[in-house]
Amino acid sequence: MVTLVALLVPAAVASWLLTAGRGLGHRAVNLLSAAAAVLSLAAVVLAVVLRPEVDRAWVPSLGLRWHLAVDGISAPLLLLTAVLGVVVVLHTRDRPPVGGTSAAFHACLLLVELGALATFLARDALLFFVSFEVVLVPMWVLITRFGDAHRPAARADAGGRFVLYTAFGSTLMLVGILALVAAAGTSDLTAMAEAGGRGIPASTQLVVAALLVAGLAVKVPVFPLHTWLPPAHTTAPTAGSVLLAAVLLKMGTYGLVRLPLATVPDGFARVAPVLGVLGAVGIVWGGLACLVERDLKRLVAYSSVAHMGFVAIGLASGTRTGLQAALFANVAHGVISALLFVVVGGLKERWGGADLETARAALREVAPRLGFALVVGFAASLGLPGLAGFWGEFLSVYSAWSPAPDRPLALFRTLAVVAALGTVLAAAYALRVLRTVWAGERRTPAIQDSRDTEWDVVVVLLVAVVALGVVPGPLLALTHDTVSLLVGAAR
Amino acid sequence: MSATAARLVVLLPALAAVLGLLLARPRVDAGRVVPARGLAVGASALTVLVALVQLVGVHSGSASTAVGTLPALDAGELRIPLQLQTTTATALIAIVVAVVGWAVQAFAGWYLRDDDRYGTFAATVSLFTAGMLLVVQSADLVLTLVGWEVMGWCSFLLIGHWSRKESARRAAVKAFLVTRLADVGFVLGVVVLAVGAGSTAYRQVLSTWAARDGAGCADTAVAACAAAPSGALRTTAMVLLVIGVLGKSGMVPFHDWLPDAMEGPTPASALIHAATMVAAGTFVLAQLFDVLAAADGARWLLAVSTAVTMVYAAVLALGQSDLKRLLAYSTLSQVALMLSAIAVAPAQEGPGAGVLHLYSHAFFKALLFLAIGWLSVTVGGTAAATMRGGLRGHLLVRPAMFVGLLSLAGVPPLVGFVSKEHVLAAAEAGASQGVARAWLVLVAGLVTVVLTAAYCMRAWLVLDDVTAFHAERHDGDTATPAVRSAVVVLAVLTVVGGVVVLTPLIDLGGHIGWLLAVVSVLLVVGTGLLVRRHARGSDPAVRLVGPRVRRFDEGFGVDRLYVALVATPVLALARLVVFLDREVVDAYVRGAAVGTAMAGRGGDRAHRAERAATGLAWVVAGAVAVALAGVALW
Repeated sequence: MVTLVALLVPAAVASWLLTAGRGLGHRAVNLLSAAAAVLSLAAVVLAVVLRPEVDRAWVPSLGLRWHLAVDGISAPLLLLTAVLGVVVVLHTRDRPPVGGTSAAFHACLLLVELGALATFLARDALLFFVSFEVVLVPMWVLITRFGDAHRPAARADAGGRFVLYTAFGSTLMLVGILALVAAAGTSDLTAMAEAGGRGIPASTQLVVAALLVAGLAVKVPVFPLHTWLPPAHTTAPTAGSVLLAAVLLKMGTYGLVRLPLATVPDGFARVAPVLGVLGAVGIVWGGLACLVERDLKRLVAYSSVAHMGFVAIGLASGTRTGLQAALFANVAHGVISALLFVVVGGLKERWGGADLETARAALREVAPRLGFALVVGFAASLGLPGLAGFWGEFLSVYSAWSPAPDRPLALFRTLAVVAALGTVLAAAYALRVLRTVWAGERRTPAIQDSRDTEWDVVVVLLVAVVALGVVPGPLLALTHDTVSLLVGAAR
Repeated sequence: MSATAARLVVLLPALAAVLGLLLARPRVDAGRVVPARGLAVGASALTVLVALVQLVGVHSGSASTAVGTLPALDAGELRIPLQLQTTTATALIAIVVAVVGWAVQAFAGWYLRDDDRYGTFAATVSLFTAGMLLVVQSADLVLTLVGWEVMGWCSFLLIGHWSRKESARRAAVKAFLVTRLADVGFVLGVVVLAVGAGSTAYRQVLSTWAARDGAGCADTAVAACAAAPSGALRTTAMVLLVIGVLGKSGMVPFHDWLPDAMEGPTPASALIHAATMVAAGTFVLAQLFDVLAAADGARWLLAVSTAVTMVYAAVLALGQSDLKRLLAYSTLSQVALMLSAIAVAPAQEGPGAGVLHLYSHAFFKALLFLAIGWLSVTVGGTAAATMRGGLRGHLLVRPAMFVGLLSLAGVPPLVGFVSKEHVLAAAEAGASQGVARAWLVLVAGLVTVVLTAAYCMRAWLVLDDVTAFHAERHDGDTATPAVRSAVVVLAVLTVVGGVVVLTPLIDLGGHIGWLLAVVSVLLVVGTGLLVRRHARGSDPAVRLVGPRVRRFDEGFGVDRLYVALVATPVLALARLVVFLDREVVDAYVRGAAVGTAMAGRGGDRAHRAERAATGLAWVVAGAVAVALAGVALW
């Protein structure tokens, strides 16, 4: 019941806004969307506590079911999505969108939230796929209609690239899912995870795992499938960037856990070294690109590529620690990148651009609040202990040093060293940004410091970043049992 | 009692930091600074008190190596207990850190009274102290790592406090990046140790790794013995850990960040140099001494690096034209001395000598920094030329500086003498067992004694030059009672702190070798007199170094080496990556789009290009083909 509320409320409000509610004023739309997001959040919190399960026939002839459930892996992501759903609506309150009606903008935000929630709730492989695709179009609208007002051509390019690239990945994934469903004889993810790939021949497992990993790697994104991400982030409006980084990318990593890792563990074990190597390359690649990138928003986008590399390594290690690391890093990155995109997006709006070579007033002098948020955000981004980013990265390096027995040990230990070196690159680009943007003596041109709902949003995210860093226990405990179950089933 | 105290010792400064940050306002007027200062100084004084309570508690027998904090973390195969410990050593060093933290807060409240960002500074100092106290109290490698990195970040903020200065910004970034690079070693070392032990608790790590290849396995679980890690892996782990320590402590080749860190306000320098960040590695290695003792490769690395650093830094200290930078180099030299004790002390003697030097260095170095900072306010700078004769006429700073420099030079019975002799004795003990690296450290140590005496004498001659005496410079001295009491407390501890070796508070394996002590005292006195004679009333450094002083100030150009060997290649690689990202990785994406568009256009043209005549011809051709087929198949 609560899961249905969590899904139906945003769906209903979004459809109403797109049809009958188009004429509504910005404030009214925002209030309505906020109410929907809050209601949805409340339902998600209840769902995480009560763990209800919905299981109804959907297309009986195909054996498809409308099967929704919550477990330790999806619970943190559901909470993250629901909280950020509220956050982006709140953030928009004092910033009427440009490029289209406010109703359309809010409807898109709610639809993205709906798709993400449904993806994390789905326990049926095809339902998962459908939910996964729901987010595409609203996100495309957000990028191409409401994106960077100065560059229409870049908007069209970024939006098109985003949709086509990820749809291409989804196609691969769909083929993988169909092959999987055909081989397993069921589309129920829980049943497939319990079977742990038994009864599926090794060669089929390998093909399915390769297809699924390749398809989902686009969404994560894993090097070298990442080139859609920087343009999308650069042009998307702030709320869109936040959802993109904090929610959409998580769907990719979540899919990797739910689909190949859980259902075809033997096949995944053979793909894992490749995934691990690409993750490590991504860490270094993204970190290096950030050292010379001139656009601040693109820089944060590239840093996402680096951070998702740690998640990929953790997943590839095949240990419980690795999976815990990946899930933690996933949530941590969601919060940190949301914070960074709110701040950086706000700066871009104020500056009228995000070029780092342009001389600007030092944030520490003219906008101490934004400056503080930027310092904490980048400190968390470089994996400073005491902030959210540390635990996932540390555990990921740990898991790479001691991977599962069937993984090539020397290779994974090399990956551990490379990943650890990647944290230095993270420090280098973080300090590069702080030195250029935050510290300095210039006081002109003055910009306005963070106020109103923007600051409220920043405070919420700051608290989350610090809380996850200081008290990582609850999140690790939340995922612990399910992780043991998953990796246990694979043995 | 001591368990609660151990938790509070870490928690108090951390809370002070959070509250201080909330209180901090960018613009301070006279009234605004008071609550921030009261909070910072009050909390640091309270921390000293709690640390004392801990010491009493430990002494009355409630030492514990497992004080719970947050619930343990279950991260899959790895267990992270997140525990603290209260032992005699942690209690003693916690007091030292707390005292220095309090002195620094008391001093900063006056030194930065006109700074518009004093509140942030005080909060950062509190956080920094909390990080160091966490390292000290930690019984868990991960907690140590947390404190370790928090200190690194705070050092970035403190060194870059005056962020309107380009030199401060650069120094801050350099300090953090150099130490962070070395920290890769620390993190990996922690990971390797934790993988072997299956836990990050010091107790498990020590019991797993300390045993010499299977020996001493009786008291550990059988499973741990079966997985008894190989000697090579142990050496790898400890080498990695030592690399991290070398970075944080500013040992060669990571040393160049530390002198540049003088761009920070003097209280920050006092804090970073005296009892915290640069000395933290000594304490961490002391905790892991049993493992380190079994890893010869790591000890060699530590010994060579520290031996080189102590001499090299002492030489550089001698030729600095800025007295604050002289102190910075002397820190490098002294920290090298304390680490060298850990590198060469015989396994049965333990790391006591190094920890003792950490203890004593904290007092006299904090004293020297505060004294020089105080003096710089009244004379208007820290350059040797500006400070000339600055001590004359100041009733408090002069004696304070006097005992501080004597202690640094190692004159009995001051605290610096006691600890330095213990270090030399440890090296001698190692050397008498025929360990080559102990000889190296012993010789380097004696050379350092001579050089240290020389630069201390030089500093004194410059500061106490009677020919440049202007008593009126000190008339406007506004130092608060808090500053005075901080300096007095540190001076007293510098004088009498050495008695700690007579108490059971510190676990010293060895004792002072009297022959060596006499030799080093003679060396100190002889060098002092020689420098004094040679100086003939002027700055001896100017006579000795002459026009090469610029090279000394640049630290022999190591900064350029960093840029040429690390920064430039990495940036070049980064440019290559961006180029490849655009022209190769993204090319096939654009290629797919272009290819599809071309195929579409081609198909479109193929359709549109059909004219009626051609179409008709095809129809006729088709009809003919069908007819032919019909005839053929008939």
